[in-house]
Amino acid sequence: MNSHHTRILGRAAVLSLAVVIVAMVAVAWTAASARTEWPERPVTLIVPSGAGGGTDLTGRMLAERLEARFGQPFTVINQGQGGGVVGIGAMTGARPDGYTLGILYNFAHYKALGQADFDVDDVTPIAQYNFDPAGFQARADSPWPDLPAALDAIKADPTGVTIGCAGGCGGSWPIAVASLLAAWDIDPARVRMIPSQGANASLQDLAAGGLDVVPCSLPEARAFLDAGLVRALAVFADQRLAAFPDVPTLEEAAGLTLTLGAWRGVVGPADLPEAITRRLEAALRDIVHDPDFRAEMAAHGFGLRWRDAAAFEAFMRAEEQRVHAMIRDLGL
Amino acid sequence: MTPAALGAALALLLTPQVLAVMAGAAVLGLVVGALPGLTATLGVALLVPFALLLEPLPALAGVVTLAAVAITAGDLPGALLRVPGTPASAAYAEAAHRLARRGRAGLALGTGLVCAAVGGVAGALVLLLGAPALAGLALHMSTVERFWLAVLGLSAAAVVAGPSPPRGALAVLIGLALALVGLDPVSGQPRLTFGLTDLSGGLGLIPVMIGLFAVSRVLAHALDPKTDERAPPRIGPVFAGLGQALGRRRRAIALGGGVGVVIGAIPGAGADIAAYVAQAVARRLTPGRTKGEDDHDLDAIAPAGAANNAAIGGALVPATVLGIPGDSLTAIVIGVLMLNGITPGPAAFLLHGDTMAAVLLAFLLANLLLVPAGLLALALARPLLAAPPVVLMPLILGVCLVGSYAVERTTTALVVTMAAGVLGLLMERGRVPLAPVVLGLVLGPLIEEMALTSLMKAGGDPAVLVERPGALGLALVTAAVWGVPAVRAGIAHVRHPRDSD
Repeated sequence: MNSHHTRILGRAAVLSLAVVIVAMVAVAWTAASARTEWPERPVTLIVPSGAGGGTDLTGRMLAERLEARFGQPFTVINQGQGGGVVGIGAMTGARPDGYTLGILYNFAHYKALGQADFDVDDVTPIAQYNFDPAGFQARADSPWPDLPAALDAIKADPTGVTIGCAGGCGGSWPIAVASLLAAWDIDPARVRMIPSQGANASLQDLAAGGLDVVPCSLPEARAFLDAGLVRALAVFADQRLAAFPDVPTLEEAAGLTLTLGAWRGVVGPADLPEAITRRLEAALRDIVHDPDFRAEMAAHGFGLRWRDAAAFEAFMRAEEQRVHAMIRDLGL
Repeated sequence: MTPAALGAALALLLTPQVLAVMAGAAVLGLVVGALPGLTATLGVALLVPFALLLEPLPALAGVVTLAAVAITAGDLPGALLRVPGTPASAAYAEAAHRLARRGRAGLALGTGLVCAAVGGVAGALVLLLGAPALAGLALHMSTVERFWLAVLGLSAAAVVAGPSPPRGALAVLIGLALALVGLDPVSGQPRLTFGLTDLSGGLGLIPVMIGLFAVSRVLAHALDPKTDERAPPRIGPVFAGLGQALGRRRRAIALGGGVGVVIGAIPGAGADIAAYVAQAVARRLTPGRTKGEDDHDLDAIAPAGAANNAAIGGALVPATVLGIPGDSLTAIVIGVLMLNGITPGPAAFLLHGDTMAAVLLAFLLANLLLVPAGLLALALARPLLAAPPVVLMPLILGVCLVGSYAVERTTTALVVTMAAGVLGLLMERGRVPLAPVVLGLVLGPLIEEMALTSLMKAGGDPAVLVERPGALGLALVTAAVWGVPAVRAGIAHVRHPRDSD
């Protein structure tokens, strides 16, 4: 056999070997994808807020525990641009294969205000794990001894009072305080609502004398409360918070029953396969009821609230309607 | 702080674990700082997952060390390649590079290094001794005062704009225009996003700065490789003439440190803005004598080099004392504190007094360690210089894109970085200065938000802007900054009409 033949034979051999390998890989791959279960590679958890904030901290706490349960890394990706619109948009637009999940929080105002176009139908609810009731904060030297005095003063002169939104004016805190004003027969559209870059910015302006009221969670206001710069007149919860035993509930302070504030949950893109949703829901149920997780959440001042997928979806739909109605009333 | 408390804090700090973490953070800081495209903010964000695994003190000591070292190491590529390693070094990269071209890179870097250490130590001392007073001052800043401070900061553009006022004004306008993209800071309505959700967050400060300052250099090189074919700058002696250079600029360095601490403490502005404003203030307040090119360039380096490191200390004041982040970097510091069960605020000093004192001491120590760390970096930079630009430039481009993506985590950031690079190239070709763009980009949204929210509070009455005493004072200072030179020029024109023509 001369070298020419050898070369042709060799080429044929290489070619057929290549075909066999490709075929084997293809068969193995289809078999593998049919056989192996989710998750077979790392899962991305989109946190629609910057590194270091409350959503990021709780997201990382969950990711660490999900990783331990599923044996695959749950990678936290921070996308806090545009007040979270970018991150939520990336999550709702991802392929519903279970490899992109996200943390979601009060989001209904984005669509109502024309800032984004996602709603509950764009997500697959998995579970809610957190709820932080709003607090009603005034400056330490404000003339109002209690909540009814503050509400009466606002009623007497709505345009003379400025309320910080602790973020955008469609967010969880201003919606909560607007609901309170409406319950006290004050037209929330007449009160001056002032947006800011977040709870800290509004609280600082409150301390500097630029605002009269700032609604936000008590843990967010803790540094200002401890420093004696601001006072919390009430908390929008059905019972007092363990970490803030001196702050009365809304019912104690003003005889109103409103439970309003900020919530966080885990969601996936719409049409997430049922099996994956169930497995995640079960894992999150274990995590949220795990004493170690509860202790860590409490240590950081985060409130716990468990809602399974069905209850979470019903809650988000009700909230979406309420927020849209309130934003109409506010004239935003 | 009492001697006993100081002793307790030192005992916490000087343990092998803490010192090892600080050394590791310093090395990481050198790397992220010296690589154009990787910023101090990114380095600190990369530490967050590790901070979960560490005790509070080593975690925080590591964070403050990394920030201080990274900002200083950013001077290195600025001087040697004219590509600032971090945006905070952009203010004087040009001047340092000119010195390097004249064979005086050692002097430029030595000056930057010592000024950084002096500024950083000043910031740390202010933090240790005067934090409560400064925090009190920051607490009196309502939206109106912050509006005037931002306007005052933007005034610095007039000084750093360079020889041509129209070109400087154009640069400010470019910065303001770029800042318009995204959700409007007051009403939250999308602006110039072309319906793209990805643009809702705006163009992103870090991608734009990396593009303007670093990618534009790479592109310029690719279009015209000959510019870099001249012999690469040698570092030259570091200490020769350093004492004299620093001694003559005592006042400028002190001013830079002071300006840095104050700017850093104001929420919204960071080390990059502090560097530009310090340069402007020093140029106004220290009399110019007839001097050579070297002196002129060193004048640009000294105050800004001190200011960018002092700004970290300044930003830590509201962060640790009040839990208010001054910039993106301290926002992460607050996150790390909370991750470790410490809620920043006055109570933190009562409940975790020793830990907090030890963190502040760690920051002081990190700034003292800057000089040896910087000299080490200089030694390591020598082989880097031997690498041909054909190899170096694509690497820099790669690192820039990685750095942008790592901060923003969106592919949009990559497009923005490249587009900003093209913009930077075109601006350089048109001799439009880059510095005012940064001022417009950072301060534009701040001015807009503060002005509009102040007016909303008053129901649209502009008198609100001068009603509070602090606001009135700042308004007068702003008026003086703009008015006095104009009046002076006017008087000079009347007296000697020919000279000022």
